[in-house]
Amino acid sequence: MIDEGRALFLQIAEAIEESILDGSLAEEAQAPSTNELAAFYRINPATAAKGVAMLTEKGVLHKRRGVGMFVSAGARDLLLGERRAAFAERFLDPLLAEARMIGLGPDDLATLLRERAAGAPTEGNPA
Amino acid sequence: MSRILKVVRLQLINKQTFIWVPLIVLGAALAISVLIYAMIPVDTPKYGGGGQAPLWYFFAMGLSALTLTFPFSQAMSVTRREFFLGTMAAAALGALLMAAAFLIGGWIEDATNGWGVNGYVFRIPWLWEAGPLAAGLAFFALAMFFFVIGFTGATIYKRWGAAATTVVGVGSGLVLVGLAFLVTRLEMWGQFWQGVLWLGALGLTLWALVVIAVLMVISYLVLRRAIP
Amino acid sequence: MTAVIEVSNLTKQYRDKLALDHVSLSIEPGKIYGLLGRNGAGKTTLMSILTAQNFASSGSVRVFGEEPYENARVLSRVCFVRESQKYPDDATPEHAFRAARLFFPNWSQELADRLVAEFQLPVKRRIKKLSRGQLSAVGVIIGLAARAEITFFDEPYLGLDAVARQIFYDRLIEDYAEQPRTIILSSHLIDEVANLIERVIVIDDGRIILDEETDAVRDRAVTVVGDAAKVDAWAAGHEVLHRETLGRVASVTTLGVLSAAERAEVEAQGLDLAPVSLQQLIVRLTQKAAGTRGTDDAVLAPSTEEVR
Repeated sequence: MIDEGRALFLQIAEAIEESILDGSLAEEAQAPSTNELAAFYRINPATAAKGVAMLTEKGVLHKRRGVGMFVSAGARDLLLGERRAAFAERFLDPLLAEARMIGLGPDDLATLLRERAAGAPTEGNPA
Repeated sequence: MSRILKVVRLQLINKQTFIWVPLIVLGAALAISVLIYAMIPVDTPKYGGGGQAPLWYFFAMGLSALTLTFPFSQAMSVTRREFFLGTMAAAALGALLMAAAFLIGGWIEDATNGWGVNGYVFRIPWLWEAGPLAAGLAFFALAMFFFVIGFTGATIYKRWGAAATTVVGVGSGLVLVGLAFLVTRLEMWGQFWQGVLWLGALGLTLWALVVIAVLMVISYLVLRRAIP
Repeated sequence: MTAVIEVSNLTKQYRDKLALDHVSLSIEPGKIYGLLGRNGAGKTTLMSILTAQNFASSGSVRVFGEEPYENARVLSRVCFVRESQKYPDDATPEHAFRAARLFFPNWSQELADRLVAEFQLPVKRRIKKLSRGQLSAVGVIIGLAARAEITFFDEPYLGLDAVARQIFYDRLIEDYAEQPRTIILSSHLIDEVANLIERVIVIDDGRIILDEETDAVRDRAVTVVGDAAKVDAWAAGHEVLHRETLGRVASVTTLGVLSAAERAEVEAQGLDLAPVSLQQLIVRLTQKAAGTRGTDDAVLAPSTEEVR
C-alpha cells in the first residue's frame, strides 16, 4: 500500500483523491479524520495531517468547524481536470518511449488503440 | 507530596523488602535460638547473638537498594538527591521497626524469664544498661550501620567498579588492622577497653551514629556522579 | 517554535572510545523523532546524557531551557525507558506500574491496564521470572502510560515479537494522536519505524550525519539499473552512494531528487528506476560515512561491490 521512496503525505493525499475519483468518497461527505488515516495506514498523524492540509489548500477538502473535514463540491471535477492534464505526461510519454524501443510508430499505435478500445466492452472478444 | 516522600513510598511498594523479610529473618533466628536454649541443660541465663541475623539482611538491602532500585529510580526520573534521602528515610523506618521488635522482644523475654528456658536473645544486660530506649537506639544504629555499609560499598562499586571497591574494602581493613597494631605496640589496650566500658552501649551507639553520618555523606557524594 | 531540547557541541569521551563527537541538535516539541543508527553509534549514550543519567565530557544540554542534572522540575516531565532496564529486587510489573504512577504526573492507569491486556502481561509474576518479551513489555507500557512530555524509547521493543511490536507502534500512534507530545524513538529497525517518525536523526560513530524531516529524505535518493555504460554515464553527473555490478548490468544509487522530466529521460534510455527505502538510504549514507572516515581524501568515495 505504502510506496517507498516517495513522500508519505503525498501518498496519503493521492489515496484520498483516488477514493473521490472512483466515487467511494462522495462530495459533501465527511473525509476520514487525521487520526483515522494515521491508524489505518499506520503512519504518523502529523504526516496524515500534512496530506489533508495539501488537499485543503488545493480546494479538494474543506473544514467544517467543530465537525471535521469534508469533500468540497466540485472536487471530483477538479481532480478529473488534473488527471486529464497530466494524462499525456503520465501515460503517453512512457507509452511512446516503449513503442519507440520495440519499433512501433504512431500509426501502429493508433490502430492498436482503436482495436483495444473496441474489444474492451465485451470480455473475451478477440480484436 | 514531596518527591522524597514518594521515594520512601517507592521503597515500600514491595512490602517484603523493608518490612516482612527482616521480621521473618528475626523471627526465624529467634525460634532457632530458643530451641537451642531449650536443649541446653544449663540453668544459668544463656545469651545468644541470634538477634544479629536480620542485620546481615540490612546489609543486603543496602546493596540492592543501590544496585537495583537506583537504576529503577532513574527510569522514574527521580534525581539522585531525592533517591538518596528517600532511601535513607525508608531504611531508617525499617531500622526503627527492627528496634521496636527488639524492644518488644526484650520486654517479652523479661516477662517470660527468657522464653521459659532462661535464654535471652534481646535482653542482653550490657545493651540495656542505660535503659530500654538506649537499647532500642543501639539496635536502630546497628541496623542502619549495616545498611549504610552495604549502600556505600555498592555506590563505590557502581561508580568506580570492582577494582576500586576492593581497594577501599581492603584498605579500610588494613587501616583497622594498622590501628589495632598501633594500640598493641603502644600497649594501650587496657585504656581502650576502659574507654569502651566507660562509654557503655549508649556511648558506642552515639559514636556509631557519627560513623553512619560520615558514611552517608561519602555515599551521597559518590552517588552524585554514579551512572545507573 | 522554542526547542524543548537543545544540544550544543556535546562530546562524551570514554577511556578508549569517543562515544559522542561534538553533537548538536535541536528537538522541537510535539513531534515524533527517530534516532537511528547502528549498534554502538551513540544513541543510548545521547539519550542517557539528555536525561542526566550519564554525564557529558563537554558541551551543553538544555531540556525545557534548563540543565537536566539533578533538576526535578525538568526530569519529572521526562521519561526514559531503557532497553535493559533494572527493576527492584523481587518486584512485579504491578509494583513497577505503581511506582510509575507515583512519579509521572500524567500517568494513565487506564492506558496501562489496556496495554497489559494487549501484551498479555502477567502483572503479579516477579519481573526476574518474566520472558524477554514480557520484560520489554513492562518498559514499553511504562513509557507509553507515563505520557511524559518528552518520552524516550531506547529500543525497548527489541525483545518483543513482530506482533507485539505492531501493537506498540499502533498504540504509540493512537496515544500520540490523542495526547501529542515529544517522542524520541531510537531503533536500528529503520523500516519498521520509518512511517511513524516525523523527523529522522541519524547518528553514526558518535556523529550526526542526518537531521531532517522524514518526508524530505524519503525521495532523496534513487537507484538506476541497466546497461553499465549508460548507467555510469548518467551517474557521472550525480553524487553516487553505492554501485553494484552483475556482469554488464550496473545498479547505482545516487543522491538527488529527480524531476519528472529527468525520470522520463532515464526511462527513455531503457534504464529502470527503483525507489530507495529510508533504511537503504541510511545504510548507504552510513557506509559512505564510514568509508570517508577510513581515508584522508577530501573526495567522498562511494562503496562498491562486485556481484559474480
